[in-house]
Amino acid sequence: MWSIIKLSWKNIWRNPMRSGVVITAVILGTWAGIFMSAFMNGLSQQYIRDHLQNYTSHIQIHDVRYVEDKLPEFYIQDADFLVNQLKMQPFVEEIALRSVVNGLASSATNNFGVTIQGIHPEQEQQVSSLHEYMQDGEYLDPSIPNPVVIGAPLAKRLSIETGSRMVLNFQDVDGNITAGAFRVSGILKSANSGFDESNVFVLAEDLNDILGRENTTHEIVMLVNDFKQAGSYTSQLEDTLQSEELAIQSWGDVAPTLRYMDANMDFTLYIIMTIIIIALMFGIINTMLMAVMERTQEIGMLMAIGINKKRTFAMIFWETLFLTMVGVPLGMGLSHLSITISSSIGIDLTMFAEGMSEYGLSSVIYPELEALYYLNIALLMVGATLLSSLYPAWKALQLNPVQAIRKI
Amino acid sequence: MAIIETHDVTKIYNQEQVPVHALNGVTLNIEEGEFTSIVGPSGSGKTTLLNMIGGLDEPTSGKVVVNGIDLFAMKENDLINFRLQHIGFVFQAYNLIPVLTAKENVSFILQMQGKKASEYEARSMGLLKAVGLEDKVDKRPSELSGGQQQRVAVARALASKPDFVLADEPTANLDSVSSGNLLDMMLHLNEDENITFIFSTHDQRVVDRARRVITLVDGKVDKDEKR
Repeated sequence: MWSIIKLSWKNIWRNPMRSGVVITAVILGTWAGIFMSAFMNGLSQQYIRDHLQNYTSHIQIHDVRYVEDKLPEFYIQDADFLVNQLKMQPFVEEIALRSVVNGLASSATNNFGVTIQGIHPEQEQQVSSLHEYMQDGEYLDPSIPNPVVIGAPLAKRLSIETGSRMVLNFQDVDGNITAGAFRVSGILKSANSGFDESNVFVLAEDLNDILGRENTTHEIVMLVNDFKQAGSYTSQLEDTLQSEELAIQSWGDVAPTLRYMDANMDFTLYIIMTIIIIALMFGIINTMLMAVMERTQEIGMLMAIGINKKRTFAMIFWETLFLTMVGVPLGMGLSHLSITISSSIGIDLTMFAEGMSEYGLSSVIYPELEALYYLNIALLMVGATLLSSLYPAWKALQLNPVQAIRKI
Repeated sequence: MAIIETHDVTKIYNQEQVPVHALNGVTLNIEEGEFTSIVGPSGSGKTTLLNMIGGLDEPTSGKVVVNGIDLFAMKENDLINFRLQHIGFVFQAYNLIPVLTAKENVSFILQMQGKKASEYEARSMGLLKAVGLEDKVDKRPSELSGGQQQRVAVARALASKPDFVLADEPTANLDSVSSGNLLDMMLHLNEDENITFIFSTHDQRVVDRARRVITLVDGKVDKDEKR
């Protein structure tokens, strides 16, 4: 077999230009596929991380009725006791309590439906990065009475700015319509313009005063040590807390689209790579068919002097494999290099920032890819090579030695 | 002792449309150590007969027996292996592997037989020396003349120590000097090492030096003369 392998290696260099073109195509195809996969994976993982860090957190706890119907009276009973129990769990890293109601934000000129989040800034800053997105003013400046932070799109819609007054209308815990006047402490602009437009942030104590109940908590959010394990941690919490009044949800339950995106990203990446590999396969098959057809006489001679079909097939297979395997490692090396560089400096898509923000996407993308993906690509390429060699090898095996030798 | 026997061999091409009788009941024996030339006009069936003796083309009827073995009663893989082990081929167009050197071309067949490196190295060097190409062992076919390439082809045919060598018009592409040298070399191998050679040829110089001349006409043996 070694002599067949050596012959195959020499055969691919009979026509260096043609082999060079195929190898270059394999290098570029491998690079394009892997880099595009890393870009998409980076985009998706960044979106998921941003979403978890700024909006959803890893696990949320509510009163079970609140999940069905977000009314202020469905607050969590004895939240402090619950927090103490959560703090005892080894996987829980940060906890924040929120009182959350739906209401109407009004300015002198306009009004808009919003979710009003009453937060404890010192806790909130541990579970969310929203305070880092301040575009103007301060994040819930305690020196001003009833401060509120709103998103830039809402400020534009209500035609208000930092320092302006606005009124929030909502129901209190007894079901009465109530309202409070707030002053805009700051305006934030996160990567998700939809979120910015429909959420306002006030101090929990200010909101609870108006709700008519001290220490009201509708939502407990927490970060755990591994967000991918949030589903199993949720089950552990359910076992520990043994409460039918509480709805404990992982980020995947709260935002099923994120879970779907995370679960299907690998599948999507392999589809992209498979499409590229199929395109490459046609190029390889074409090259190998040409190589077989122009060597009809020689292959006929080999069969005549006693080279059996298994060896003839092996020769074509090894030639195909060499063409691919020279290109794939180089393509992978190039991919690794470009991913390493772009993941440290980021790919700046600021020119598309506005459109990306509509979809909650950050404008700087950091490509990332697991090492296992490279191995799987190599295996896919070997499989594709085997498939690519089948037709040219079959054509070679169909040659009749007598006719092939006579062919000039 | 006959190493090759053909028994009433016929070959009909294009049987279902306009049948062409390439061979029409050829029966002959070839003894070990013969230097035989098969001659005849174009279309007389020389190459067809040679292909059948070499196990490359199956007769429509009749048998080809080599060393007591009916070639076409064997399974395909066994027949391929039989060719590898027992028959040497020399082709009109040399048909060397262009990416291999002269030595590699000769040793390739030995490697296919599973011989060890020391064995195939020594034998291929010895054969190239025997055909007068000891100074060209590392040359590729494109760096050799037609006559030198055909000598390499003869060395390759002899590499596996075959029972006999089949040569289809071996001098057809050679000039007279190269033809003469090649014939001298093959006669020398025939006389000194008792190697059986069977040629198909149009070349009168080859015919003149053959020890047995079988003339085919219209697929039949017209004359069979021993000298």
